[in-house]
Amino acid sequence: MNPTELIGPSSPLGYPAPYWFLVLFKVLGFTLHLVPMNLWYAGIIVAMLLEWRGGEHARHLSSRVMKQMPIIIALGVNFGIVPLLFVQVAYYKVFYPATILMAWPWFSVIVLLTLAYYGVYIYVIGLRDEGAAMARWRRVVGWVTAVLFIVMGFLFSNAFSLMTNVNAWPALWQPTSVAGAPLGIALNGADPTLWPRWLMMFGLALTTTAAYVVVDTGLFAVRESDEYKRGAMRVALKVYTVGMIWFALTGSWYVFGTWRPDVREMMFSGPLMVVTGLTAIGPGLPWLLILAQRRAVTRTWALVTGVAQFGVLALNAISRQIVQNAELSPFLDVTAEPVNIQWSPLVLFLVLLVAGLGTVAWMLRRLVAARRMSTDEPIY
Amino acid sequence: MHYPWWYVPFLTSPMLIAIISVLHVLVSHYAVGGGLFLAVETRYAYRTGTSGYLAYLKQHAWFFILVTVVYGAITGVGIWWTIGLASPLATETLIHTFVFGWAMEYVTFVLEIVSAFIFYYWWGRLDAKTHQTIGWIYAGSAWMSLVLITGITAFMLNSGDWPEHRSFWVGFLNPQFIPQVLARTGGSFLLASLYVYLHAAFKVKDPELSHLIERRSARPALWGAILIVIGGIGWYVFLPESAKAALVAASVLNVLMVLLFVLTVAVFTMFYLGPYRNPRWLSPGFAIFFFTFGLAAVTTGEYIREAVRKPYIIYNVVMGNQILADEIPALRRTGYLEGGTWTKAFVSHHYPQVINEGKIDEARLLMLPEADQVKLGEVLFQYHCNDCHAKVRGYSPVAQLIRGWTPEMIRTVVRYPEKSHFFMPPWAGTPEEAELLTKYLMSIAPPHPGGMYYGQ
Repeated sequence: MNPTELIGPSSPLGYPAPYWFLVLFKVLGFTLHLVPMNLWYAGIIVAMLLEWRGGEHARHLSSRVMKQMPIIIALGVNFGIVPLLFVQVAYYKVFYPATILMAWPWFSVIVLLTLAYYGVYIYVIGLRDEGAAMARWRRVVGWVTAVLFIVMGFLFSNAFSLMTNVNAWPALWQPTSVAGAPLGIALNGADPTLWPRWLMMFGLALTTTAAYVVVDTGLFAVRESDEYKRGAMRVALKVYTVGMIWFALTGSWYVFGTWRPDVREMMFSGPLMVVTGLTAIGPGLPWLLILAQRRAVTRTWALVTGVAQFGVLALNAISRQIVQNAELSPFLDVTAEPVNIQWSPLVLFLVLLVAGLGTVAWMLRRLVAARRMSTDEPIY
Repeated sequence: MHYPWWYVPFLTSPMLIAIISVLHVLVSHYAVGGGLFLAVETRYAYRTGTSGYLAYLKQHAWFFILVTVVYGAITGVGIWWTIGLASPLATETLIHTFVFGWAMEYVTFVLEIVSAFIFYYWWGRLDAKTHQTIGWIYAGSAWMSLVLITGITAFMLNSGDWPEHRSFWVGFLNPQFIPQVLARTGGSFLLASLYVYLHAAFKVKDPELSHLIERRSARPALWGAILIVIGGIGWYVFLPESAKAALVAASVLNVLMVLLFVLTVAVFTMFYLGPYRNPRWLSPGFAIFFFTFGLAAVTTGEYIREAVRKPYIIYNVVMGNQILADEIPALRRTGYLEGGTWTKAFVSHHYPQVINEGKIDEARLLMLPEADQVKLGEVLFQYHCNDCHAKVRGYSPVAQLIRGWTPEMIRTVVRYPEKSHFFMPPWAGTPEEAELLTKYLMSIAPPHPGGMYYGQ
């Protein structure tokens, strides 16, 4: 069976905005989503390990990270909406079939996320009310939550690798369907790109977790002792180093072991060579910054580290977008869809976005002002 | 048919949308009404210096965050998940029409999340004026979120002139928009009262404070009653003709309409006579009873709102069985199996002998062995009928509906389903394909129940 036959017709409505606009928001939204998503993906398991095996400062760091986790998750879910919206606008022909073929695992993300989110709250309420004497069952919930987020990462890697692995659709569809209608129980496990990609994302998430520890220590932990800050920076350096090596190893496996030759050739030639190179060596900059701050972290350099890590994530998102289109190119040209621009809703959205961001900035300014007046830190 | 059809035995996959949607609606409306309640009541508590009430409101804000920000937000995303899986063509159509509506709603969602967290976590650390302003930012953005989403969901019930104009604003400002905004705003007030009442019943021990909360929490529900009545009347007036006819014709909807009326009247009467006029009734048992009544009323209302849309998912645009209304004439000429992306691939792969010059030869379908014809009939059932009907057991199972029918009766309904029941989509295939579906249905239809006496 020719897998291209499984791709449906174009929407008669066309894209509501030019492709570049859709993909810009998709990549921007995905980059923003990556920050909190990385923190729950790797940050919770790191926090649990620190709480289990770490010293006094490591345990305190674990407690700080976990107490912030409910807000981080809320922001992560929120930031995930934008790429989800725009992937459905521009990639609907492959997104819906791929997720339908694995409907039950994909649907289970909602159940798992609900359980994991409440799991975080159960753990954090334990930290708040019981501190070091937290009940054992709450700790178990913390570990289960960490595992659930890693499982969800695996399911996401499945869905988005299957979206471009159109060749695999017929083989997944036929044995898991009843009279041509899929039961939705397939997984993209035979795709060679799946495992290295999932693991590479975990390595990247470790680096983001470490960078966040630097940002938290430099910017938010103003009332913590110098010993704590030095301890936190040591942890950050170790975690970043492990994450960077992990990212390099699994990234190499992904690029050199699983990419199609034409995709690899494209990414290693011309101007794209620069993007590929920067994506590969990008984590080196935050690592150097953390190394330089290991004895004393400052607000400015902590902020620079955070911005540098954001750049690392943005490079990954851009590279991923280019590779995604290249993987799809034998089956589908997403740039060739008809366009029917909705000017007034588009402009209104942009105006509201600016107004909304302005309102958020105003609220944060009030918060910073209140924080200066306050004598204690907020209890999450 | 543009996409693979997700087969969920017994339940049917669209029922998952219904389940997740109802679970979401019960919280998302509280997220709107509860936000407004917190903004209004925090202002009142600051103004009157009622420190006990202020302390209670902080407690309630924590409950509010746990319910709305966690559960409400995730079930909201869950709707996205399920509509993409169980109704992909309608989702494709909606997202290409309203992506900027959703993008605007996303902005309000960001404001909701940020303001909700600041409102609670910085309680006592912000000056009273700023704290109240943050509360109002939450309330305003949550209501805007309701307005934006209602524009899209109301469009699904009455697309108005959109099929001719295909413009965002014509679709968004559809005839159902204002009535549904009013009704949903009223519903959100009602749910806010119920949640506050329930929470306070368990948390508040001081009788004075308890009475104050009862009186104050009853007010939104009573305002909500007015909005629900006005919105409900508007909803009925601007229903498409077929939806009004369905309310009369479908027995389940008859019963549910009566149930909705009774439940709604009971809830508002209890609010008026109870918390508002006699604020000493507050007890956990009564609160649970009351809360259950309210949830039943809202759930029934949502069910009716969804059901009257049949046979469309988006009225006059996308049929309930994942076909664009515009596509039906062509499918009747060329065949449903030929027109469907996945059905065509299925036939090409399993029955290459019926393919002629790259297309399915309809005449050859009826030359296949009987078992293969039944199999292809099952394919047609999955893609054409399983949206609304399970097979033998489960949700509206077709086999039970045609129990004891003759082949002629089945054939007639397959060929003219919209004549048999106007809330069914028309047949979108060739006569040969209708024959295949008839043979499949015959194969699963149980015989007429035995032992029934008709006077002979």
